[in-house]
Amino acid sequence: MAKSNKPSVSRAILSKPAVQSTLAALLCIVIGLLVGYIALLLINPAGATNAIITILKNYFTYPSKQAAMKYLGNTLVKAAPLLMCALSIQFCYQAGLFNIGAAGQYVAGAGAALFCALQLKLPWPVCLIAALLAGGIFGIIVGVLKSYLNVNEVISGIMLNWIGLYSVNMLLSGVKETASPYTVQIANVNSGALLPSLGMEKFFTNNKYVTIAIPLSVIIAILLKIILSKTVFGYEIKATGIAKDAAKYSGMKEKKNLIITLFIGGGLAGLGAAFLFLSGYEQWSVTQSSVPGMGFNGIAATFLGGLDPIGTIFASYFIQHITSGGSYLDKNIYPSQISDFISAIIIYLCGFVLFFKLHLNSYLRRTKETAKEKTISSANNQEGGKKE
Amino acid sequence: MILLLQYTLLFASVLILVALGGCFSEHSGVINLGLEGIMVMGALGGALTLKYISPSTPALLIVLAVLAASILCGVLYSTLLAVACINLKADQTLVGTALNMLAAAAATVIVKSINIAENPDNVSSNVQYVQTKKALVVNMGSFQFNWFMLVALIALIAAYVVLYKTKFGLRLMACGEHPQAADSVGINVYAMRWAGVLISGMLAGVGGIVYITAGVSEWKFEVGVAGFGFLALAVMIFGQWKPINIGLAALLFGFFRALSNVYSGFDFLAALNIPGSVYNMMPYIISLVVLAFTSANSRAPKAEGIPYDKGSR
Amino acid sequence: MADNNNYAIEMLNITKRFPGIIANDNVTIQLKKGEIHALLGENGAGKSTLMSVLFGLYQAEEGIIKKDGKEVKINNPNDANDLGIGMVHQHFKLVQCFTVLDNIILGVETTKYGFLQKDVARKKVMELSDKYGLKVDPDAKIEDITVGMQQRTEILKMLYRDNEILIFDEPTAVLTPAEIDELMEIMRNLAKEGKSILFISHKLAEIMAVADRCSVLRRGKYIGTVNIADTNQDELSRMMVGRDVQLVATKEDKEPGEVILHVENMTVPSKLHHNNAVKNVSFDVRAGEIVCIAGIDGNGQTELVYGLSGLENCSSGKITLSGKDITHASIRERSTNGMSHIPEDRHKHGLVMDYSLAYNLVLQRYFEPQFSTKAGFLKKKEINDYANKLIDQYDIRSGQGAPTIARSMSGGNQQKAIIAREIDKNPDLLIAVQPTRGLDVGAIEYIHKQLIAQRDAGHAVLLVSLELEEVMSISDRILVMYEGELVGEFDPKTTTPEELGLYMAGAKRKEIGA
Repeated sequence: MAKSNKPSVSRAILSKPAVQSTLAALLCIVIGLLVGYIALLLINPAGATNAIITILKNYFTYPSKQAAMKYLGNTLVKAAPLLMCALSIQFCYQAGLFNIGAAGQYVAGAGAALFCALQLKLPWPVCLIAALLAGGIFGIIVGVLKSYLNVNEVISGIMLNWIGLYSVNMLLSGVKETASPYTVQIANVNSGALLPSLGMEKFFTNNKYVTIAIPLSVIIAILLKIILSKTVFGYEIKATGIAKDAAKYSGMKEKKNLIITLFIGGGLAGLGAAFLFLSGYEQWSVTQSSVPGMGFNGIAATFLGGLDPIGTIFASYFIQHITSGGSYLDKNIYPSQISDFISAIIIYLCGFVLFFKLHLNSYLRRTKETAKEKTISSANNQEGGKKE
Repeated sequence: MILLLQYTLLFASVLILVALGGCFSEHSGVINLGLEGIMVMGALGGALTLKYISPSTPALLIVLAVLAASILCGVLYSTLLAVACINLKADQTLVGTALNMLAAAAATVIVKSINIAENPDNVSSNVQYVQTKKALVVNMGSFQFNWFMLVALIALIAAYVVLYKTKFGLRLMACGEHPQAADSVGINVYAMRWAGVLISGMLAGVGGIVYITAGVSEWKFEVGVAGFGFLALAVMIFGQWKPINIGLAALLFGFFRALSNVYSGFDFLAALNIPGSVYNMMPYIISLVVLAFTSANSRAPKAEGIPYDKGSR
Repeated sequence: MADNNNYAIEMLNITKRFPGIIANDNVTIQLKKGEIHALLGENGAGKSTLMSVLFGLYQAEEGIIKKDGKEVKINNPNDANDLGIGMVHQHFKLVQCFTVLDNIILGVETTKYGFLQKDVARKKVMELSDKYGLKVDPDAKIEDITVGMQQRTEILKMLYRDNEILIFDEPTAVLTPAEIDELMEIMRNLAKEGKSILFISHKLAEIMAVADRCSVLRRGKYIGTVNIADTNQDELSRMMVGRDVQLVATKEDKEPGEVILHVENMTVPSKLHHNNAVKNVSFDVRAGEIVCIAGIDGNGQTELVYGLSGLENCSSGKITLSGKDITHASIRERSTNGMSHIPEDRHKHGLVMDYSLAYNLVLQRYFEPQFSTKAGFLKKKEINDYANKLIDQYDIRSGQGAPTIARSMSGGNQQKAIIAREIDKNPDLLIAVQPTRGLDVGAIEYIHKQLIAQRDAGHAVLLVSLELEEVMSISDRILVMYEGELVGEFDPKTTTPEELGLYMAGAKRKEIGA
């Protein structure tokens, strides 16, 4: 009896969904890194091991603690918008929507935030709200097309990504630097639009880009977790996502919920863009001809995070960590996109997570049954023994 | 004007090829959202062939070699979708998206690595094929005929014949409409879906090389194919999954795409002084409008997007 | 009659297990050449599993299959087909947007250089169609033809493949009485031509009418085989359920009260075709009565209920519930105003399959102050308490009680959960659509009792059913629906199934005084 106790405990732990998600995520990461490593070996075997370590070390590459903290700050500055995009996709996925339009909603948010900050010279809270609304409106368009006209949200999302990109390029061409395609520095025109740091910069060796955006994004993630698991609204959108017809049958306004969900999703992505651009860390190039990858990387973070807001926090950080790490590679040997490559591999592998869980569970069921049968048969034997 | 016609036909050829790819995949029951990525990989195969093949090779041979390379890359890459979606029953949207991102990243990594190996200071993701590209076109007066236009036309006719006149087409469509029915008469649903996805890889791969050789003589792989895979899906939906309708829809979309390349050549358009971005947006806006009007009553294959599981009947 | 020892197919000592259950436990069936052999059993008795084993969809763990006395292995439908075994599945395996001809040739196409040779196929189909009296239009699309013709297409599919052993899985469920007679005639013809037929059914009258012999399964076990000539319905029924069943529910006579549901000239458009699915229908349901809508599947019953519950918009007409006009009310308003709805498709509409039982039990009430706060938070404790109350009261069995995921529950208990939820709302009007479909006898009895209890408590009940037996036994009033119209009103005490059948098939109609 004591012997069979141990596997049953590990079985109980293994059958917890959170444990399974974590295991699956770790597996995806390991395989993703392995494939990335193989790619590095193919490019240049001599430095491959160093290269993969560089990616993983990211800011730890710097020997001094100060420098490491400073660059940890940079990674966090970019992880915050990534988390927001991931949350956008995650929230919509709960309602059964694949919000690939997060990339465009992000672009819309960037456009609105920068336009308010640079052209209208408004303070940062207004810029944040403008970004939220702009992203939200992009979301609403997708939502209306989906719920009233049955347009696949992936295709309409992609179309809006490009429409958004060219629109924002046009919108911001009035506030660009004369000599470059980049928008002017916020600090030079309207420092009131920069997000406050609340003294956090001190921790990061005076990295002035570290702002309230970082704690805010984590708070929003926790907020979403609460909305999803504890509220009537969460109950409704999850029901809509799992069983659209049952939701309708019970009288939920599934079209309205769908549109609200996409508004929130769009708002999150838009806000994410504001979190980055209002920190002053990046400027928008009005001649860029491809949609920023933040929204797409969000997909990786979402699925790696096991479609859970809290898991997504860690996953976003990880994805940004290796993306930033990629930039430390020797550019004359390895392309920095190797990090994107690893992220993409990880997303691809996330497609198998369901398969992995299914098999793990059926394996657990099988072992449980055999364990049960064994106890039954041993019990029978004992009974039989008595009779004899 | 002739330039507009030429570009319209070229972009329509791209859209026809890729949309037909989507069409084969969806008729077999798999939604292929990875078309964009497959295009990139096909383009990469073709571009590298153009880069390395000697310009003195006979033109026809160059065309065939480029075609073969694109097809090979497209088909190989689409196996990633097939394995995940057909055998491992993964979420087709997620896998398609992953493949798009993977293709963009992988192509950039590959091209950059090649460039760096040739010259450590060249960290761009460009592939140049100025000389060999000439083999792909035939000048007919001021109209540049491109061999790929013919390829697209042949693909269109072949798709129609294959889908409606052959045993293979009948079985393929049965798998997309009612896989259980197909299974019950002894058709291997998995095999047919594999076939559908591989054909889509082949066609989208060719579409990719046609796209990047339209007009320019070098391609920057960081930018991918600018949502053309998704435009092709819009064309496919607009064409209601039927080859002939897809051909017509592709011409319409091709026209708007061509306009953004050549609008400055028209005096009255140039006089309007509309920013270039507006023309760039046009194809996407049009497709959004078209989708809004055609999606409500779409006749999509009934079982598309649903992984087939022999156990569940 | 064929020679006694001349078996076309023998399935000997077949055992097939699934995780947790033994679907077939040492079952033996022997099919003679040229006979019609019925396979009788309740839902879940293991008939379908056994046939799936024969058809190569499942492999049995134990037992052997013999064809013409020789042992054979059947690993997939192709093997079955090669052995001349064909099957008409309960849910037709037809591609809706293909023509009849395309469906028949699918999988065994005649080709020349890879191109389809449809003319050759068409000729053979027409010959078969003439020979066996199977009238079809080869160029019509499946989605445009009647269910009867679809079934004939399925039969032609088997004949086109020169199958000798024909399996019919519950073939009469979707047919009108007249079409059933026609099918029986076809089956006799086929047997006369030397085909051997396995006829799966749980309808005793049909088995008595057409079969030569009958084998009975109960809970996966083989009970026995009898000659139809030497038996009667009572004996078969006992073999099937293991005890005498009183399928006629007992209920007191009761004078109905005021009108609860009043429907006037209701029309609902169809999603499947351009015609209206429900045409200008008017009727009343009163407090304390069970009104039953009878009819063959697909005559507008589904859309009628969609119109009443708000899942679909009516294009014209008026609906009143307890005196209140609800024609344009939302689904939620109808529900909170006293309408409960046990839906036809419990997986699609009735339950959120991946939610817990507790969450499913409050699906119609989660927004009430009892279960959620003003700020929009769910009161989890109250939801759980309420769920436990319903679980006790309605005897809903599940693995882990309230937190059990609905998907993991048995069909009968899923249905019980829906019924508990809908009845506990204390509705003025309960709409129940095929509430007993696919359930075993025990669950059916339970559900009938609940419906009658609702009536006795003075609520109005509208029952939509395809089973004439059920219609006759529990309703107070019967309305027959045919092609979207109500074509007759009957008192179950004075009518007969045969009379209803004529109306259900559209052979007769009369005006209804609503």
